[in-house]
Amino acid sequence: MSQAMIRVRNLTKSYQRGGETLTVLDQLNLEMAEGHFYALMGPSGSGKTTLLNLIGGLDSPDSGELFIAGENLAQLEGSELAAWRGANVGFVFQSFNLIPVLTARENVELPLKLTPLSRSQRRAQGETALKLVGLGDRMDHRPRQLSGGQEQRVAIARAVATDPKVILADEPTGDLDRKSAEQVLDLLGRLNREFKKTILMVTHDPHAAERAQSIVHLDKGQLGRIEHNQPVAAG
Amino acid sequence: MFKLVLRNLSSHPIRSGITAVSVGVALFLVCVLTSIVTTLQSGLAAASSTRLVVMSSISLFVDIPLSYQEKIARVEGIANVVKWQWFGGYYKSQDNFFGQFAVDPERMFEVYPEVKVDEETKRKFLTQRNACIVGWQLAAEFPEWQQTGKIPITGALFPHPSGQAWDFELAGVYRSEAANFDNRTMFFRWDLFEETLKAAGQDPGVGVYVMSVEPGADIESMRAQIEGMFENGPATVRCDTESEFTRQFVSMLGDIPMFLGWIGAGVLVAILLGAVNAMLMAGREQTHDIGILKALGFADTAAFGVLITQSLVLCLSGGAFGIALAAVLEEPISLAIGSAFPGFFIQTSTYVGAAVASLAVGLAAGAIPAWNALRANCVEALRAKGA
Repeated sequence: MSQAMIRVRNLTKSYQRGGETLTVLDQLNLEMAEGHFYALMGPSGSGKTTLLNLIGGLDSPDSGELFIAGENLAQLEGSELAAWRGANVGFVFQSFNLIPVLTARENVELPLKLTPLSRSQRRAQGETALKLVGLGDRMDHRPRQLSGGQEQRVAIARAVATDPKVILADEPTGDLDRKSAEQVLDLLGRLNREFKKTILMVTHDPHAAERAQSIVHLDKGQLGRIEHNQPVAAG
Repeated sequence: MFKLVLRNLSSHPIRSGITAVSVGVALFLVCVLTSIVTTLQSGLAAASSTRLVVMSSISLFVDIPLSYQEKIARVEGIANVVKWQWFGGYYKSQDNFFGQFAVDPERMFEVYPEVKVDEETKRKFLTQRNACIVGWQLAAEFPEWQQTGKIPITGALFPHPSGQAWDFELAGVYRSEAANFDNRTMFFRWDLFEETLKAAGQDPGVGVYVMSVEPGADIESMRAQIEGMFENGPATVRCDTESEFTRQFVSMLGDIPMFLGWIGAGVLVAILLGAVNAMLMAGREQTHDIGILKALGFADTAAFGVLITQSLVLCLSGGAFGIALAAVLEEPISLAIGSAFPGFFIQTSTYVGAAVASLAVGLAAGAIPAWNALRANCVEALRAKGA
């Protein structure tokens, strides 16, 4: 196995719900290799999205260690954590999370504003990302003018625009029809194979999980089994 | 990010438009109300403390004898004396209200050097018995005067013995740059006034005497001397500097300046609440977008910046509209309320104040939603329903 991109040690996260403490992740230990495509599965409430949010620096653990690309996230907070997130992680959400008042191009260029790139460089890089996902002819469309599959592809273009090390996808095919879902999974597979991106994809869909090289099962906040499979080739 | 701010505003054009226009109209009102107060104050500030005014000690509305003029003129230090009498007439209809005064024509220009007329106007006014001069604002209000050259005024206090209107010939238009001398008044010759009334058996009195004094004159002792001269009648007088006389005249308006100030403050508070409400709605709608920005790596301060900038753009554009409206309507307003507030004008400091007020409203209206955006937890914000 290649070097670990994600290393989780005794990770615990709990929430307060109605006066009770709900432990979502309980002393979790996990390692994920660089350039690998993982599917994260488990029943509802098993802690999949919470783990994804912690790895992405969107949330902070109660205890434990979390190293991403050698950076200890526990030591980062506030604007430092935000800057790290912008530079190292690309997110793909189930509900796309595009900003509705901006065009596809502007959505993709948005995270590039955090980089030292010039305006023309940002524009060029945004166009490259949109062409990569097959939306070179939809750049000036707003999200509401796109289909769900197209919106998700814009979200993927935005996720890769800054060339992050890790792509975190939370149920990226959950709101899509089968054909659009296949296109999105093809894209994620391609990003992993051709651009060596480490991908962690939360999914309930076994068919989607088959596209990953490894399937990590979570159950009640603890690591279940890890399956290694031969990913289904892109269609 | 500024593009995002503009897009957010333009995504709700009606709400943004109404809020900006509301801020604009409110600031326009504040400009006008403030200017009424500053106009009164500037009249006071511009009033001369080296001109003296003699009036009846009983009231401004009680006449003093014509014979006092020569006695006052003999007081040491007096350079010139001009008498004024309020005519109280109207042009065609009583709705056409403006001041008319009978004055000594030559002395008036000597006592009031700030009143400017061209040579031809001055010549006509000094030589033509029924000539009159009018302020440029008044002339603009009644353009037919300059076409016909005739101004018939019906005397309400002093009806013409013929039972007809007094017929005046327009000699020309005067212009005063001094705030205490308004440009919406008519002046005609004392000799016409006096002779016409005397021919009908009436003996005209004088409203006030205004005197210019020689440089270095002892104002206080002159005042005391003039009041003392007429202590035993037939009419006792009081003598004040012009600035004191103006101050007392303005004080007759009572608490109007304070009342106007309170109205202006109320308008500002009302519009602030409206802008706060609009920005709170915008903040709630954009919570999801704020979550996206934070997820993409934007700092909390960037989220704060988006909302506060949005509020500032909204309120400053409204403020610019209000200021522009006030600038465009300044002259029409001056004409409309000139009879009550002569010399109305909007000072530069009022425009600056309005701009600062719109900035303050923008900051205050955006503060709560911007603070909420700053503090928003990224994960919870992403769960919020989008606009």
